Amino acid sequence: MTKFITGAAVRIPLIIWSILVVFPLIWMFVGAFKSNAEIFSSPWSMPETYNFGNFVSAWVDFSIGSSFLNTIFVTVLGTVLCLAFSIPTTYALERLRFKGSEVLFNVYLASMMIPAVLGWIPLFFLLMNMNLLDNLFALSAVYAISQVPFTIFILSSFMGSVPKELEEAAAVDGMSPYGVLFKIVTPMVKTGIITASILNAITFWNEYFMALILLQTESKNTLGVQMDLLSTNAQYESAWGALFAGLVIAVVPVIIFYAIFQRHIVKGMTEGAVKG
Amino acid sequence: MVQSKKQKYLFLTFCLLPTFLLFVIFTVYPMVNGIYLSLFDWSGMSANREFVGFENYIRMFNDEIIGKAIYNDYFFVVTKVIGIMILSLFFAVALTQLKVKEAPFYRVVFFFPNIMSVVVIGILWQFIYEPDIGLVNGFLTSVGLESWTRPWLGSMEWALPSLVVPAIWAGIGLFMLLLMGGIMNIPKSQYESAEIDGASEWQQFWKITVPLIWPQIKTSMIYIVITSLNGSFVLVQIMTNGGPGNETEVMGSYLYQKAFEDFQFGYGATIGVLILILSLVTVLIMQFILKREKVEY
Repeated sequence: MTKFITGAAVRIPLIIWSILVVFPLIWMFVGAFKSNAEIFSSPWSMPETYNFGNFVSAWVDFSIGSSFLNTIFVTVLGTVLCLAFSIPTTYALERLRFKGSEVLFNVYLASMMIPAVLGWIPLFFLLMNMNLLDNLFALSAVYAISQVPFTIFILSSFMGSVPKELEEAAAVDGMSPYGVLFKIVTPMVKTGIITASILNAITFWNEYFMALILLQTESKNTLGVQMDLLSTNAQYESAWGALFAGLVIAVVPVIIFYAIFQRHIVKGMTEGAVKG
Repeated sequence: MVQSKKQKYLFLTFCLLPTFLLFVIFTVYPMVNGIYLSLFDWSGMSANREFVGFENYIRMFNDEIIGKAIYNDYFFVVTKVIGIMILSLFFAVALTQLKVKEAPFYRVVFFFPNIMSVVVIGILWQFIYEPDIGLVNGFLTSVGLESWTRPWLGSMEWALPSLVVPAIWAGIGLFMLLLMGGIMNIPKSQYESAEIDGASEWQQFWKITVPLIWPQIKTSMIYIVITSLNGSFVLVQIMTNGGPGNETEVMGSYLYQKAFEDFQFGYGATIGVLILILSLVTVLIMQFILKREKVEY
């Protein structure tokens, strides 16, 4: 009997929290198919007819479509650039001991503790002077650099476990250090690269404030900025259905991504905790 | 290894220099320059940049909204640390030690809000609090508590607590996973010997689990503080824009307003320095308070 009671006592909070997480999401999905009138008259019910008009309206009239593509662009480019910056640096810091390698590693780590907010104003003017405002390439590069310290942090623990003998054998066979890095070491730390890239991609996909500051024309906007605009407009035009549809469009790729990589994310997080 | 010194240095340069240069240009320089800018009165046009020394700082001390923003930021910090730590610790223990069969399901569901963007979370919760069609008022009405309904985000006293709820909602999963990692690493033998000694589950929790995952608890709390001081304003900006009045203004949203809406970039930079200083001081104090003898197992 006590076992039953403790079992129930544990499960009730778990069930309540699941409902608190899942119910708003279901409500959002259902709302995306409702007309404005229906959202107001019966906010709790299922839609009478499933119409996709809200999605069309969000995608076309509120430019969620173009911002969706812009977001894919900065997410992919940012993730790739971040790896291109981080992999050689991590290798040099972790495997090639040299004077100052530890200092440099700590500089990168320490920068994670400093609030980025402080740098936004100068960053804005720096890009303005370089003529790189409102430029999706520049935004991707800024994203990539901003995640370099975190990526180095993740990759270094994986690189530390690559056996040194492999590198030495390849070098004896006459392979250049560049070859050793890209053909031997990089494939060996695939798991680390995937973990870091998943987390970076999610960060870039969701980023809002740097995009808000560094982009200027509506055609360049990323999803976060465009959704915020849509949210403000929806209140004036009472385009609630379109706003729900926009939210769904912004969330669905993340849900698919999460469904595919869920194991990696959870594993990466819990293992990272063990090391930390 | 057949490799000349020159080749070695060339390779090191190839590995380190491009990244380091970009890091200095896009991360280090803006931060340092942010501190420097706080000494100027500047509307953004390079021509009229006037050195004013510590005038911005003096202005900040007399700015009532700054006081409000600091209070609100720490309201976020304290409620988030307490709310997130209690819930995520409970969930972490429940899902690792209490033999819940559906644990993997909960783990996946609870982490889900962590991968959603703050914009989406903010807009969604704006809806949830919406006075006419929102879930909160709808729920209260349906259970007969109609007198409790109110325009949550438009209310002077309820706007700030209403913002904390989604912040906790969105944060639980990450810290639950971090703590689960720590708990799964505790050797089973610890609990077995405690059981033989007749320790209750409650005692085992306080005497074994908590001390052994203290490093994770400490890291989590410090991480919540840093991310809260530097990130809470995104939710504020989206859900209330600092309103009603300046009731929910936090330092970050005030910085954005001053710099990018009122074009007082010098003063904005000063608020940035304040955020930096308060973050560092708070973390230092926490390091000191949370210090504990390291427990080995």
